Amino acid sequence: MKRSLDTRVVLRALVVFLVAAVAVTWVLSAQSAATPDPVTVASAVSADAAAGDAVTGQAGTAEPSVSSEVAPTPEQTAVSDSQSRVLQNVFNGVVFGLMLALASVGLSLIYGTTGLSNFAHGEQVSLGAMLAYFFATDQPVGIPLTPLKFVIGWPLWMAAIAAIILAGASGWVQDRFLWGKLRKRGVGIVQQMIVSIGLSLALLNFLQWWIGPNRIRLSKSIEVRHQVGPIQVGNITLMSIAIAAIVLIAVAIFLQRTRLGRATRAVSDNRALAAASGIKVDFIIRLVWVMAVSLAALGGILMALYDNGTKFDIGAKLLLLMFAAVTLGGLGQAYGALAGSLVIGVVVETSTLWLGPDLKYATALAILILVLLVRPQGILGRAERVG
Amino acid sequence: MGDLFIDVVREAFTPTTAAFALAAVGLNFHFGLTGLLNMGQAGFMLLGMYGFAITIREGGPIWLGVIVALVLAMVFGLLLGWPTLKLRGDYLAIVTIAAAEMVRYLGRSQNFNALTGASTGIRGNEFKEPFEQLSPFPDRMVDVGPFALHGARSTSWWLVVVAWALVAILVVIFWRLSRSPWGRVLKGIREDEDAVRSLGKNVYSYKMQALVIGGAVGALAGVVWSLGASVQPDSMGRPTTFWVWTLLLLGGAATIFGPVLGSIIFWCSLVLVKGLAAMWIPDSVLSQQQLEPFSLVLVGVTLMCLVIFRPQGVLGDKRELAFND
Amino acid sequence: MTDTNPFANTLHEPGAAKEDPIIIADHVLRRFGGLTAVDVDHFEVQRHAITALIGPNGAGKSTFFNLLTGFDKPQRGEWLFNGTSMKGISPAKVARAGKVRTFQLTKALNRMTVIENMRLGAAGQRGENLFAAFLPSLWRQREAEITEKAHELLHRFTLYEKKDDFAGSLSGGQRKLLEMARALMSEPEMVMLDEPMAGVNPALTESLLDHIVKLKNEGVSVLFVEHDMHMVRRISDWVVVMAEGRIIAEGPPDTVMKNAEVQEAYLGVHHDTDLSEESSS
Repeated sequence: MKRSLDTRVVLRALVVFLVAAVAVTWVLSAQSAATPDPVTVASAVSADAAAGDAVTGQAGTAEPSVSSEVAPTPEQTAVSDSQSRVLQNVFNGVVFGLMLALASVGLSLIYGTTGLSNFAHGEQVSLGAMLAYFFATDQPVGIPLTPLKFVIGWPLWMAAIAAIILAGASGWVQDRFLWGKLRKRGVGIVQQMIVSIGLSLALLNFLQWWIGPNRIRLSKSIEVRHQVGPIQVGNITLMSIAIAAIVLIAVAIFLQRTRLGRATRAVSDNRALAAASGIKVDFIIRLVWVMAVSLAALGGILMALYDNGTKFDIGAKLLLLMFAAVTLGGLGQAYGALAGSLVIGVVVETSTLWLGPDLKYATALAILILVLLVRPQGILGRAERVG
Repeated sequence: MGDLFIDVVREAFTPTTAAFALAAVGLNFHFGLTGLLNMGQAGFMLLGMYGFAITIREGGPIWLGVIVALVLAMVFGLLLGWPTLKLRGDYLAIVTIAAAEMVRYLGRSQNFNALTGASTGIRGNEFKEPFEQLSPFPDRMVDVGPFALHGARSTSWWLVVVAWALVAILVVIFWRLSRSPWGRVLKGIREDEDAVRSLGKNVYSYKMQALVIGGAVGALAGVVWSLGASVQPDSMGRPTTFWVWTLLLLGGAATIFGPVLGSIIFWCSLVLVKGLAAMWIPDSVLSQQQLEPFSLVLVGVTLMCLVIFRPQGVLGDKRELAFND
Repeated sequence: MTDTNPFANTLHEPGAAKEDPIIIADHVLRRFGGLTAVDVDHFEVQRHAITALIGPNGAGKSTFFNLLTGFDKPQRGEWLFNGTSMKGISPAKVARAGKVRTFQLTKALNRMTVIENMRLGAAGQRGENLFAAFLPSLWRQREAEITEKAHELLHRFTLYEKKDDFAGSLSGGQRKLLEMARALMSEPEMVMLDEPMAGVNPALTESLLDHIVKLKNEGVSVLFVEHDMHMVRRISDWVVVMAEGRIIAEGPPDTVMKNAEVQEAYLGVHHDTDLSEESSS
């Protein structure tokens, strides 16, 4: 029933955004009358990064999370003109987007194969990071509702692998004992969505209860940074990029080349048809859950390394960005989620050049809403289904 | 033990409970009657808070504050609904949740510091005074039975009376509307939009009316909340929306008293669980600061179990279960 | 059938002009991607008659139906109902103009009672306005009239005993009856029934057929999509055959099935003409 690009829909979206934009500008201008310079306000927020440095402060550079630990020296910042700042932000955006993609691909696969908008997917990201911390930290850790305290202290790579395996297992358990049962009982998609909201609430607070509300770090070592042209990059970040890229390529090969992957895409395309042609739909969906949760866990771990720390609610913060990415790419399209994540990553990071860093997630949400208004099927989605 | 009992009963009538009951009445217009998936009720509440508190801080009278709160929420509803109500239901869910978060992000942004007070929000003493001066109760602590509250300030007897009076009025309005032919059309839309369309009703317009009305009720809930506490953008994050959903489903969606009963049960059991856990579980197993997340885990699990095992809630009609689609 | 056959002078050919048409459609084209679902040059439906729209699976009958009722929009085309253009008109307005439809997959409103389902079908209830809803005195009277009418129809469709049950608890056939009764609440000039017999048990079939014939006798025009050829033969005055999105033949039920093109269209897809499964378009 929906046309690919209904002019009325576009008009509506435009008007909505005009009104929103006028409102924001109006408030901002009322604002600037009171406080002389919005840029200073914005940069004041990032004072932790700028550390009172006049050059960075005025320019308002706030590569927020990345460099917050290692403040750039005055000499370096003096070299960096506005162009390199843009480049650095775009680069950060791509890195962030790659990691976001790890998480969103799973969300998209789940949506594609089951139709569920999984609101608990953010917590799967946090779960991975928390599990890795649990295994790797040299602080005493415990298990909820038991008085035991112990130190595991595994090396990071081992902890990460254990965390991913455990997360994958939790995906299997979830589908075996929760989602699979709900599907079998014929519980509606809306009800399933509300169940996932409950699960998200439970998991989020469970993680807080378990690991605590403080910011934690997976690795104690201070990153060695290299200057590649105008871009600063650390060793761990480079490794994270490599891992994320390899895994994403592996997922693509799996979907494209293997029998199981093709079956997955078939289920995504048309569940009834796939079932009729002899594909074991329930098995595929279980596989998708295991894959989605493991990928999310990996994403959470890499993100924690890249950001030099993480918190129990990191996933909750990322959830809407993932939705934005998945929607942008077209709900249920695995490659769309990848493309969407990269776009969202770049937009989020570059937006800090103009807006305060406390608004960087807001820009992603603005994109999400805009996309839903103008082209609900996403940039890669098909315009309409046949029949 | 006796103290805990008094705490639990006290929780049943605090302004917070009333505020959540109001928010749930609003959501009941959305989800209970019309089947709209508004996942951003906290955004409507936050807009209401800002509208009210800022108007009064800038010297406006109370009635104007309330009107600004309502109008803001209604405009927000119109803007959200206009493009999305023609799309599939879960699009509205994603748009509302994203828009509500945007309101929060914008509210706590340093860019709007002078207007919204950024992440610290607006302190109570900046906007509560006109309301507190209206209090007919004495300006000191007043004991009623075992319960001691202030006569006029913050979480006061005055606010308790006003908040529950509002709840009562809105429950009556909900009752009147849901039992009218207007409510019948909404219920029809909840069951099957196309069927209602084929019977000659303008579905889009009805959905919009429901969205706007429910959002306005949410803004009222925000006003009540802010009078009992303060305006704090981070208190209106996604968890708040999810709590409203939990207590609506707990009480029974589409029922008249479901939101009120749900809110009371929700908050009382939260206090009860925390109290009992503090009493019975040793500190080494569950420390004081772990109590809060522990009880919220239970909230999440409750929401899941409700949807799976008793989607009609406490007050819902059992017969509906037989053909729950 | 009536004494003076309104089809006496109608040609037995696709797109034939009718004596007193209630629907006239021209050049209606609907494509899904690269697939042409409906491509109808000219189509007329006779007033006060029962017209059947038949055709093999995927012939575009349901899509055509959706187009005529405003539930789908064509790429191009023009059609009139009672002389007024219905192009680009919303489904709700089509219904208010007096053309009410039912659905292939019954749309009973499950978590509402049967009587509420019926009341919802009525037109002219002021209480459906938000502001009037606050004042029962404005709509009580009309509500009583509506309820009376609903009772009458429920009696006729043998659903009166079920009036306070949830619609979701009815059997498939009863839901079909309810949907048809609900469509009649607004006293439409024309009803469009999308596979009224699908999923109805044989015991109820007869009474459903009688209801449809009775409708015609009361002056309602009926257009219905159906697979079941027995039903088509029994009650329809005129049959329109669609295949691959086009109208390939028209005529009275007895002659149209002898048409070579029709037989080919059917035999090409299904040897047995008694097809009861749902169409896929």
